[in-house]
Amino acid sequence: MNQKPGPKELLGLLARLAVGGVFIYAGLLKALAPAEEFAYAIESYKVINSQLSLYSAYLTPWLELWAGLLLACGVFTRLNVLFTGAMLVFFELMLGQAWLRGLPITSCGCFGSGGSNSIGWEFSQNLLFLALAWLAWKYGRAWSADEWVEKA
Amino acid sequence: MDQKKARLAALAGLIIFSSTIAVLLARQFNLGPVRPAPDFRTFGPADAPVQIYEYTDFACPACRHAAGKLDEMIKVFGPGLRVSFKHYPLLNIHPWSLHAAAYADCAGAQGKFKEYAALLFEGQENWGPAKAEGGEPKEFAEYARKLGLDWPQMLACSNDPETLKTLKLDIAEADLKGVNATPTFFVNGARAVGSGQLLDQAQKFDNLLRKAAKP
Repeated sequence: MNQKPGPKELLGLLARLAVGGVFIYAGLLKALAPAEEFAYAIESYKVINSQLSLYSAYLTPWLELWAGLLLACGVFTRLNVLFTGAMLVFFELMLGQAWLRGLPITSCGCFGSGGSNSIGWEFSQNLLFLALAWLAWKYGRAWSADEWVEKA
Repeated sequence: MDQKKARLAALAGLIIFSSTIAVLLARQFNLGPVRPAPDFRTFGPADAPVQIYEYTDFACPACRHAAGKLDEMIKVFGPGLRVSFKHYPLLNIHPWSLHAAAYADCAGAQGKFKEYAALLFEGQENWGPAKAEGGEPKEFAEYARKLGLDWPQMLACSNDPETLKTLKLDIAEADLKGVNATPTFFVNGARAVGSGQLLDQAQKFDNLLRKAAKP
């Protein structure tokens, strides 16, 4: 328990901070902007109607922000990795169906309403985040609140 | 074990609560990113030291007065100032403001936002009080013809969902920033309501404005 973290644990810590940081950044950008901006991005995926898009746009940034913060701090680490991982899988499904249907998506809504990269790029980027989430799941307990409470 | 979980749950609650308060405060103090206005609604150099965002309603008399003040400021301070107009039509009291904003943007797409906006302000007493049931005021088309704008194209543009989307996003942004009166300005992020407060706020940046205005 009191041993210094090895390279794997350091990697897990970095992965946890990276995924947490990405979620904090994405959530913060959207929470500080009008929900309607993100709602338009969600609508462009043509999965849910405009009213539901707006409700999702109100909720999602906060979930991203809170999950990112909890993950970065290592509070209920595994549960939060699962949650952020599930969100990433859901985003992949949304991006994937838009990609397959050839929808003209100018902003994926991933990081606010500004222009974004191509769907293919965003899809690949999310795969990387998923890989990092796996590392955080496996080795992400170093310097976490979980570990700190465990020791106390 | 349960006590440890309770501690973690308390920590999670604290993180969620404090981050929520921080974001809500950041919204109130206008710390979020500002969505740029379209080029035709923006005047002055991009690197101007003083950036003013104005949320305006073409049917509001105070906005008309403020437009004059802003024009004077642009003339006096030139390169020190960049002004971006955002629409905030007060739909509950001005039934034609949204239409006016859409037509102004469509005139902007034809290169005459400022001229069309000036005519809207000038004639606001004619079209502003018109009843919603009476049909669209004829002034909108008249102003377009006066400026040599392509009216059928403006009509098509005003019905384009993209035009409405831009307006709705301006309104949503204003709501998020707690704008509830027009004209509301943000002078380098600092809020000012009405042209009196605008001048007060601008005075705080007097040195920057004068320095930039020097040849």
